Amino acid sequence: MQNYQFHGPRTVGEALNILSERGDGCRIIAGGTDLIPALRNEDILPDSVLNILEIDELTGISEEGDTIRIGPTTTFTEIIQSQVIKRSLPLLVEAASSVGGPTIRNRGTIGGNICNGSPAADVLPAVVALDGELELQSKALGTRIIPAAEAVEAPYQTRFNRDELLTGILIKKLPSETRYAFEKLASRNAMARAYMNISIVLKLDEKGAFSDLRIVPGTLEAVARRMSAAEKILMGRQPEDSLVEEAADAFVGDLAGVWIPDYKLPVARSVFKRVLKRALNGSGVE
Amino acid sequence: MKKRGLGVGCMFYGIGFGFSRQDISAATIEICEDGSVIVRSGEVDYGQGSDTIFCQMVGEELGIPYDSIQLITADTFTTPNAGPTTASRVTYVTGNAMVKAARAVKETMQSVAEDILGEGDLVFMDGEIRSEYPDKRISFRDLAKTCHARGVQIVETAWQDITTKDVDPETGQGDAYATYGWASQLAEVEVDTETGRVEVLRIIAAHDVGKAINPSNVEGQIEGGVLQGMGYALTEEIVQEGGYLKTGSLGDYMMPTSMDTPRIDSHIVEVADPDGPYGAKGVGEPALIPTAPAILNAICDALDIRVTELPANPENIKRLILEKGKEEEAS
Ligand SMILES: Cc1cc2nc3c(=O)[nH]c(=O)nc-3n(C[C@H](O)[C@H](O)[C@H](O)COP(=O)(O)OP(=O)(O)OC[C@H]3O[C@@H](n4cnc5c(N)ncnc54)[C@H](O)[C@@H]3O)c2cc1C
Repeated sequence: MQNYQFHGPRTVGEALNILSERGDGCRIIAGGTDLIPALRNEDILPDSVLNILEIDELTGISEEGDTIRIGPTTTFTEIIQSQVIKRSLPLLVEAASSVGGPTIRNRGTIGGNICNGSPAADVLPAVVALDGELELQSKALGTRIIPAAEAVEAPYQTRFNRDELLTGILIKKLPSETRYAFEKLASRNAMARAYMNISIVLKLDEKGAFSDLRIVPGTLEAVARRMSAAEKILMGRQPEDSLVEEAADAFVGDLAGVWIPDYKLPVARSVFKRVLKRALNGSGVE
Repeated sequence: MKKRGLGVGCMFYGIGFGFSRQDISAATIEICEDGSVIVRSGEVDYGQGSDTIFCQMVGEELGIPYDSIQLITADTFTTPNAGPTTASRVTYVTGNAMVKAARAVKETMQSVAEDILGEGDLVFMDGEIRSEYPDKRISFRDLAKTCHARGVQIVETAWQDITTKDVDPETGQGDAYATYGWASQLAEVEVDTETGRVEVLRIIAAHDVGKAINPSNVEGQIEGGVLQGMGYALTEEIVQEGGYLKTGSLGDYMMPTSMDTPRIDSHIVEVADPDGPYGAKGVGEPALIPTAPAILNAICDALDIRVTELPANPENIKRLILEKGKEEEAS
């Protein structure tokens, strides 16, 4: 059993003050679905915990021009039910729907999924595939915006400063006719850590060639990133079978540090092709 | 590619402890002055529904609604020893103790009723004790009151002993158990050959339970057992590393969830056991025993691969598929 001080600020300003004063020993808690188990296991030993769920500014989904802003404490259930997300970022609905079960989706937040930095996160790779950006705030640096792809340095380690708070996830609406697919492979249909997940966002030009392509696997490598080798092979060309095979080889060849490689590498090749096919066959956003 | 397969698993299973191990149970039934009925037994209902069927049995014998019976169970201070809830024995052994105790109090009440009504051939039903003449009947409640007024004994404890003989120590031959449950299950699976993942599409489960005292309870037992058998076959695994348990929580120990539950068709087969209460036997453990063999046989039907190590999780199935591919290439 640990003892720690509990902070419950109502505004971002108050939260930033506390973070700047408490520095290293303070841990932010949102839904707590990652943090509470970590506290119980004594994986982390903070001297204080700062609850951000009472800060109204940090939750909800809004449209700002062609950008969608998602508050970090928005839950997966809220994302799944949002008409705005369904219309413009349906990939995010698929990824969020794959998380845990209803209880976890009601409690867990998108910000927590990103900031936890787990290699097994299901939503973070989708945000990376959507070219999402993160708005960070701190007293020391004010507001800065970084690509979601740069958020995680190593498993469970973000590149944020200790006094920084994630205050918004910014994602451009997908242009019309953009296609997408997400698939998660796990040993059971709910409440399961993924063997792997793959997010794909793509667009074809009038000749049927790839004019945009973003492939981001999760749980295969320590940190989710775009698979540029496979993307390069496909970009500007039409998705013929032989080319897809070549891209699948490149996808697997590009993977490094895969855990249980004997299983995951051959399977990743198949799942990649399957997700790509699903994306190509999909109708795309309106 | 997705491949489908069908497989069958069959089993028989001894009910009770068997092999001359002591197997006894008891129940006490008390009829109170106001006609209420209190049943006491040490038997534990930890979800399988024994409390419900005990009330059904006593209600059936005494002709009163089962939900009017007060049950006190699993309290060493007030209840007679009934042995544990194990070995699929509870319905068979404690059920018999219930029926015996109920029949004993009924016999006493019946003789008092015969005396009051001046009639024989009485039936206990719908809260009344009836003769063939509509004007000659008495309510259960009034009869209980009279029994108390006359000072007759209407508290009975019944003892049921299903201890069997042991088998021959030299040959191992003999009839080790008081009775046996029989079951067959059929599994239909779909294997994703690319990922090694096995989806159970359907289980058809036929169980000889002697007599289903409560059919929906029996179905519940079968469905729960099938899911346990599915977990055993496909995902559940105790992993240790250097003597430390790595699967110490339900986040790591992968039981099937409601989202993994296939269609389960339960078929209740009733071949009455001559010694069971109303012919009933047990179903608790039998429900899960044939499931894993049925699933593994279905996987074999789909892939032509015999799984000999559990769980048949995606990693293990994929490994076997790859090994088979290599062997076929070599030959
Ligand atoms: C049973 C169970 C099943 C699960 N299944 C899945 C699954 O299928 N897929 C999946 O991806 N995840 C799963 N998870 C993990 C977890 O639910 C998600 O990662 C969730 O998104 C975490 O969000 P949270 O709000 O609960 O985070 P918290 O636990 O509150 O926080 C997580 C981390 O992020 C930090 N943090 C949170 N918000 C901020 C912020 N705004 N600024 C800076 N730092 C912040 C915290 O300090 C902490 O380090 C599961 C968890 C459980 C318990």
